[in-house]
Amino acid sequence: MPIQLDPEDSETTALLDYADFTDKYVLEIGCGDGRLTWRYADRAARVIAIDPDADRIATAIKDTPATLKDRVEFQVNSIEEFSLAKGLGTNGNSQLQPSQGLFDVVFMSWSLC
Amino acid sequence: MVHALEKVHRLLKADGELIDIHPMFDPPAFEVRVGEKKFPVGWLRETDDYEEYELADEAVNDVVQRGLFSIERKGTFSFITHADSAAELRQYLIDEWKDAIIDEITFAHAAEMFNSIERDKEMILRVSTNIARYRSL
Repeated sequence: MPIQLDPEDSETTALLDYADFTDKYVLEIGCGDGRLTWRYADRAARVIAIDPDADRIATAIKDTPATLKDRVEFQVNSIEEFSLAKGLGTNGNSQLQPSQGLFDVVFMSWSLC
Repeated sequence: MVHALEKVHRLLKADGELIDIHPMFDPPAFEVRVGEKKFPVGWLRETDDYEEYELADEAVNDVVQRGLFSIERKGTFSFITHADSAAELRQYLIDEWKDAIIDEITFAHAAEMFNSIERDKEMILRVSTNIARYRSL
């Protein structure tokens, strides 16, 4: 059996208990390979998920379910460098427009440290 | 970290919410489970002794005190990693937890416990984790 991360789903349970992602515009900071992104993205209106680790973002993009490809956008980026003007629409189908105060939810996933 | 939170505040809509998950200041605990029993075998140290987790707490407190966010809810949960052996968890930490200090004595002790004739056993890493919801003001 390979390494198992949180098979008890404690993290997902807590996350969905604390945040209502339904129809929300979400920025996830520190998304890694999308491990948590998949747990809520299907209910969000739109997700931008960023992480500075290019390999993990590549994995996340590769593993993106077809049903979420028009809803989730992964970027190699940090919160310090993140720019809406630069970052949106890179996949050609973003409906978000560059502006401040855009997101309903910002989710910092093990990234504030 | 404070700058990151200030930027998050700018990116959020008025009344938007910030969800933050980060480990507690306490070091994660290694345990070996043999059958129904769990035995503590040590703690995971990091090269910076978890200073960044304390700084994360301070950064959040700073932006709350300055009125950028209000705290709506806080709690904790345990994030548990399971491995079939001490060696497997050790390798995982080397690959994935770059600033972990691999304490060979702890892993040798854990490996000894795997010599038990009990077949149902595993190595566990338990990370006590904070979760909080903040409202943008």
